[in-house]
Amino acid sequence: MTRGTGAALAALVAVVLAAAGPQLAAQQPTLSTPPAQPQTAPPPAITTAPQQAPPGQGDFVPVKNLPAVQEQLPAAPFVLAAYAFVWVALLVYVWSLWRRVGAVQKELADLRRQAERKA
Amino acid sequence: MKRYLLALIVLAMPLFAVAPFLVDGAPYESTMGLVQKIFYFHVPAAIVMFVSAFVCGIASVVFLFKGRASADHLAEAAGELVVVFGLIVLVTGPLWARKAWNTWWEWDPRLTSSLLLWMIFVAYLLVRKYGGPGSEKLAAAMALFGMANVPFVYVSVNFWRTLHPETSVVMTLVAGMRGPFWLSVAAFVLLYVALLAIRTSIGHARAEVEQAYLRMEGD
Repeated sequence: MTRGTGAALAALVAVVLAAAGPQLAAQQPTLSTPPAQPQTAPPPAITTAPQQAPPGQGDFVPVKNLPAVQEQLPAAPFVLAAYAFVWVALLVYVWSLWRRVGAVQKELADLRRQAERKA
Repeated sequence: MKRYLLALIVLAMPLFAVAPFLVDGAPYESTMGLVQKIFYFHVPAAIVMFVSAFVCGIASVVFLFKGRASADHLAEAAGELVVVFGLIVLVTGPLWARKAWNTWWEWDPRLTSSLLLWMIFVAYLLVRKYGGPGSEKLAAAMALFGMANVPFVYVSVNFWRTLHPETSVVMTLVAGMRGPFWLSVAAFVLLYVALLAIRTSIGHARAEVEQAYLRMEGD
């Protein structure tokens, strides 16, 4: 590095520092004020808000009327679908039992008839 | 047998017919509102599913150690009913969850263990149907695992952090919610007993038919 180049760099640094000086001084705390966090102090305890339990996880709290809040997702279709599914599932199962009872009774009757014929 | 079936269904159906009106009159839950009313069919179905898993497990123990065919028929009937009522639980639960938790499904301990319980009993029925001769004993051993899973499913909400309501909600229900809930439980239990009796009698009749065929072949 030549002496001229070094002098030019030093002049540039001086100009930059002169321009940024007032701003840096405004940002930095003055020496007379104590530091906000002494380095020896323990790290601050993690204070988080108490974790919110999902709605209705504990006891169910009754209310007489529904809150007058516009629901983004209406509940009625879910309730109707759930109840309809219970009824349909049970009716289908009862129907399947009915058919199986009929089939096994018919088979037993046929076997009895065959046994009587043989006898 | 069909008369027996009809009588028991006729006994249970009025309760099922009355239950929706009582549920409609029950108070709304303060945070979940209307969708919480799924609770009145979802929980009784879960109770019956647990009871049925125990019936299947105990009957399977009797079948394994005493070799009683009647116990095997009872176990088969109870296993089938675990699948039926478990399906109701697994369908109505996500319908409730979609509104209450904004998701259809969470892989949390209660939901996952319930699905596992249901799958064990589906496997139980599949082994019985397609396992060939002697598969009843293998299926009976599976039913023991299914029964052992029930306490874990029940306490999972109390031991692990989960979105699902805790078991205490049933015992702390207020008067307006208690009546419809226990009426629904009674309806489900009555229907369960009826279906179990009928399904067991089909097993007995089927065994009778097989015996008759064997006798005819022997003659």
